[in-house]
Amino acid sequence: MKSRRLVVFLFLSAVFFWGQVFAEEPIRIGLQAPITGSFAIEGQMARQCVEVAAELINEQGGILGRPVEIIVADDASNPRDSALAAQKLISQGVVAAIASYGSSVTEPAADLYERNRVVCVAYGATAVRLTMGKERRYFFRTCGRDDSQGEFFARFAVETMGWRRIAIMHDNQTYGKGVAEETKKYLEPYIREGRAEIVYYDAITPGDQDYSAALTKLRESNPDVWYYTAYYPEAGLLVRQAREMGITVPFVGSNAVPNEDFVRIAGLEYVVGTFMTQEPLPQDLNTPKAQEFFAAYRAKYGDIPSSPWPIYAADALFALAQAIENAKSTKPDDIAQAMRTMENAEGITGPIVFTERGDRKGVPYAMYRYNEKGQLELFTP
Amino acid sequence: MRVFFEQLVNGVTVGSFYALVALGYSMVYGVMKLINFAHGDLFTLGSYLGYTFLVWGAAWITERAGLWWGVLGAILFAFLANAGAGILVERVAYRPVYRAGRLPLVVSALGMSIFLQNAIMAVWGPRFQVYPSDLVPVASLRFLGLSLPLLKVVILFLSLGVMFVMYWIVEKTEFGAAVRATALDREMATLLGIDVQRVILFVFTLGPALGGMAGVMNGMYYRSIQFSMGWNYGLKAFTATILGGIGNIPGAMVGGVLLGVIETLLAGYIPGGGAWKDGFTFLILILVLIFRPTGILGEKVAEKV
Repeated sequence: MKSRRLVVFLFLSAVFFWGQVFAEEPIRIGLQAPITGSFAIEGQMARQCVEVAAELINEQGGILGRPVEIIVADDASNPRDSALAAQKLISQGVVAAIASYGSSVTEPAADLYERNRVVCVAYGATAVRLTMGKERRYFFRTCGRDDSQGEFFARFAVETMGWRRIAIMHDNQTYGKGVAEETKKYLEPYIREGRAEIVYYDAITPGDQDYSAALTKLRESNPDVWYYTAYYPEAGLLVRQAREMGITVPFVGSNAVPNEDFVRIAGLEYVVGTFMTQEPLPQDLNTPKAQEFFAAYRAKYGDIPSSPWPIYAADALFALAQAIENAKSTKPDDIAQAMRTMENAEGITGPIVFTERGDRKGVPYAMYRYNEKGQLELFTP
Repeated sequence: MRVFFEQLVNGVTVGSFYALVALGYSMVYGVMKLINFAHGDLFTLGSYLGYTFLVWGAAWITERAGLWWGVLGAILFAFLANAGAGILVERVAYRPVYRAGRLPLVVSALGMSIFLQNAIMAVWGPRFQVYPSDLVPVASLRFLGLSLPLLKVVILFLSLGVMFVMYWIVEKTEFGAAVRATALDREMATLLGIDVQRVILFVFTLGPALGGMAGVMNGMYYRSIQFSMGWNYGLKAFTATILGGIGNIPGAMVGGVLLGVIETLLAGYIPGGGAWKDGFTFLILILVLIFRPTGILGEKVAEKV
């Protein structure tokens, strides 16, 4: 009992203390994340990251001299609960919301925020249509777009590695085809200069088990590199079957390939040495903001986050804080305008600058490679 | 030419899996005039049973008798266990609705398919399961400058062997005559003293057993299995059955192998064909249904009279 009384005392004195520092009302920012459901781990890490970011901001004087208050709503990673969570945040009067993980979950919420004129910053929604479909004036995202890694791959393959004969394989679905087409587009200047050549460009059928026909064709095209831009189950089968057929060309997978099941399906012996284009993992970020943030996060939770996505949630808060600071206003229209024009926001993943449509400019991708233990390692040529 | 030959071998391998699954479809259709939609999921069940056997029991056999006996044990186990599952499915889902006509039977089969798929997911989980690589032989044969995994060759010959045994049972034995008689006219067969119930049980046991065997061989060959994979195989095998002539055992074999080869050549030789492979496959199904509904080998019309 005594300890509870002590906690209450400390809490009250803390409130009193905050009250003295921030005489003004807090700025409420919502976080919509999958706290429960099949991606609960992502949601919980996102909450921890955003809360640590909020503490850092408050320690440094808050936004416009006011403290930040984070209100969390659970969308359980399904579109129906996503709409409910968005309603909840809107009715609690948040000035902006960080929402959410997964494109199909984010979409209904983004529509609600748009209708109620609340700025929405997505942190794990990469589908192209979110920004390039119908126009949304209040929607932004700190993560990349599915197709922007095509640009990264094209540059990396030709300029860094000097691969000339390039094979691109996708699965004819939105994500895979999007990345493949974008890669092709960004390879075109190199092709005109004669520095690259697309020797294979075709789709496989997802859900099949035998890819020997496609792989025989791939081998006959004699590529220097083989870029596969779709999901892990087929990637695992493809890598295994290719290596068993004696195809040794370097394999590069897009960011939906690397995970535990990819390693299991392909087999560790075949996975070692495969490349992946993907968002930098938390342990490989070293901007000044990252060092500050990870120190605070580690002090509280003992380790840094294991997934790249929660970092983008923290970055969403840093971006919003800077935009509100620049706008000197918490009106949604002013915030949205400031988000579009600001050039001074520093995030954990580097500078945060948005395009007119709300996409992040110059999202960093990195080349990773599987090591002998089946772990991803940053690749430096 | 070497590449063409290699693609041909690829096609025949895929095709022999289709053919094994198609056999079960064709037999059940021949006797019951029922498209057994649960067949694809029985195939999945077989691959999971074989997986469980390999993980839990084969190490013991492999240590004592060698790799191939473990493999053979898993195939046999899946064959027998799936035969049991087939009997159970017949008892639960088909026998109560035989007299209600063909449509309730088809709906019941669809329901069974959904049930099986979800039951497999509930028991083994939604993730991919991977056959243990140290329990599957990886030796290769060299043949005409091609490197063929020994397992591929074994699977090919095993499925061909099974098909010939099936053909022999149905065409040359007395019991086979009873099966054919039931297929032609069930009431007349009953009047002539044929135990129709036994014939029905036979096709519902052997069909799933062959499907299970295909499932476990498929798992060994491609390593990774998932609860929903039966749907795709079911569709392909169904196409193969139509292609070869439904209700006709050599037809199912020819249809399966032919479908595998057509698919492979499309993916291998048409520019951008990989993306269109399944589109072409089902286009063939539609064309066959329009222009030659009896399939390539067709039903033996003379016997129908």
